[in-house]
Amino acid sequence: MFDKILDSKIWSFLFKGYGLLFLTFLYLPLGLIFVYSFNANAINMAVWTGFTFDWYLTIFGGANSQSSFDAAFTESPARIFDVVKNSAIVALTASTVSTVIGTATAIALARFQFFGKRLYQAFLILPMIVPDIVLGIALLIFFVGAGFKLSLLTVIIGHTTFLSSYVFVVVSARLAGMDTSLEQASADLGAGPITTFRRVTLPQIMPGVVGGFLLAFIISLDDVVITYFIAGVGGQTLPLFILAMMRRGLRPQINALAVLLLLFTFIVAAIGLYLRSRKK
Amino acid sequence: MSSADTILKRKRRTLVLLLAPFSIMLSVFFLIPLGIMMVYSFLEPGLYGGVEWNWYPYNYGRIIGWPLNDFEEFEPIYLKIFLNSLQIALMTVICTFLLSYPAAFWVSRMKGAKKNFALFLITLPFFANLLVRIYAWLLLLRPTGFFNTVLQSAGLIMEPLDLLFNNFAVIIGMVYILTPFMFLPIYANVEKLDYSLVRASQDLGANPLQTFRRVILPLTAPGILGGSIIVFIPALGNFIVPSFLGGSKVQMTGNLIERSFLQSRDWPFGAALALLIMASVVILVVIQLNRQAKAEARGVS
Repeated sequence: MFDKILDSKIWSFLFKGYGLLFLTFLYLPLGLIFVYSFNANAINMAVWTGFTFDWYLTIFGGANSQSSFDAAFTESPARIFDVVKNSAIVALTASTVSTVIGTATAIALARFQFFGKRLYQAFLILPMIVPDIVLGIALLIFFVGAGFKLSLLTVIIGHTTFLSSYVFVVVSARLAGMDTSLEQASADLGAGPITTFRRVTLPQIMPGVVGGFLLAFIISLDDVVITYFIAGVGGQTLPLFILAMMRRGLRPQINALAVLLLLFTFIVAAIGLYLRSRKK
Repeated sequence: MSSADTILKRKRRTLVLLLAPFSIMLSVFFLIPLGIMMVYSFLEPGLYGGVEWNWYPYNYGRIIGWPLNDFEEFEPIYLKIFLNSLQIALMTVICTFLLSYPAAFWVSRMKGAKKNFALFLITLPFFANLLVRIYAWLLLLRPTGFFNTVLQSAGLIMEPLDLLFNNFAVIIGMVYILTPFMFLPIYANVEKLDYSLVRASQDLGANPLQTFRRVILPLTAPGILGGSIIVFIPALGNFIVPSFLGGSKVQMTGNLIERSFLQSRDWPFGAALALLIMASVVILVVIQLNRQAKAEARGVS
């Protein structure tokens, strides 16, 4: 009867209203950045004075609005390309390597039995449980102590380590729902383990692998805390660049940059979520 | 016999090959760094950064209260900041729960494509950059921000309200970035909720409130607990949210750790604080695993 109550007119109306409020809470702040990014008012973003593309243009050095305080930001269109390039290198490398490593591990755990498997499994997801800041400073101490120079390489290593756990979890979930009879049939028909993997297993787990890769890619692209500690001077990524900008004060250019980053991650995430919904 | 042996050997070799990369990487770039951090927390800070290799428990002493005489002083401020961090993390858990629980029921009663779309909408902000999401709240809360401008132009307030740089702002920021972590586990539980048990409770004469308290809440408790833990952990160690929305007024342990690593260069002290966070997390996770194991055992027997 409780489900009847939930579905009754009053309750379903209340729930709908609440649901809309919930979505508003999630999207109003982001929507605000989007609107502000087109607001010509450079002094107070909350007051609309007209539509402009200037903030987007100034990010990329289109300097038709060189008012005095913009100088601090427009000095750096080249800098923006640098940090975007850094972010792309880190995210692509780290997510590719962690996809290979995480997938291999997931297959091993799904297809082989060995002593202490459950404990080992728990060990593999530890990096997801340890707070980011702890992981960040532990890596900082380690890299400095071991004589690594903090750079893009240390960022890539750090990211790959904890991203592999995420890929492992995503691919494992896919493997858990998989029918093994096809693999057996393939083996019975004389295919070697490598052929079976390439022709039977991999196509079946592909949505999981791609999903894991996209998740890793977004997490790497968005990561602030761990990168913050292990990037050093040479490894500034886009989020660290935004962090530095925010510390210098709120400027309309941040709105534009934030919108571009949001759009990009949302598109990648939407593709990932779509793939995941399709597999079911 | 020997062919069975070679198959076994080959299988073992495949297993080792598959597991080696991640195992080595986790050992070198995860376990060893954590171990070194632990060691560092017991070393003496060097005068100009770095460490002296002397046994030095006073990093913890400074936090908990047995300082090195005449040299270090016990500063209750560190403990106070830690307690405040615990409080903020706890409030974040409570608020994300209150927000997500009804929303989970809302989505669970939907059907087909609509449901998938709602889930998609709720999951998507999770992928928005952490900084961007905090930045959005700066735009909303600051003196010349959205809320103050709206309230002022509506004539409801004369002076802008101080919405930023207090615990409230920090908690809002935390809730905003962590709500999906609470929603998804709760939703997974609510979605599977067996309504025949709910009906049985009603048939046996329980009123809706009793049914909720005695049937629905316990049935969805695992999701609530799971969500609470994965919200609490990142909230406790967070330093980005308080550094922007708390300003210099709200300090969390994360801010102290950041500062001792990047500004005051007292690495051992920062390591000790980080271990304090780690210990809280480990205690929580162990309690949760224990509870889960017990629940499973009960389910079997």
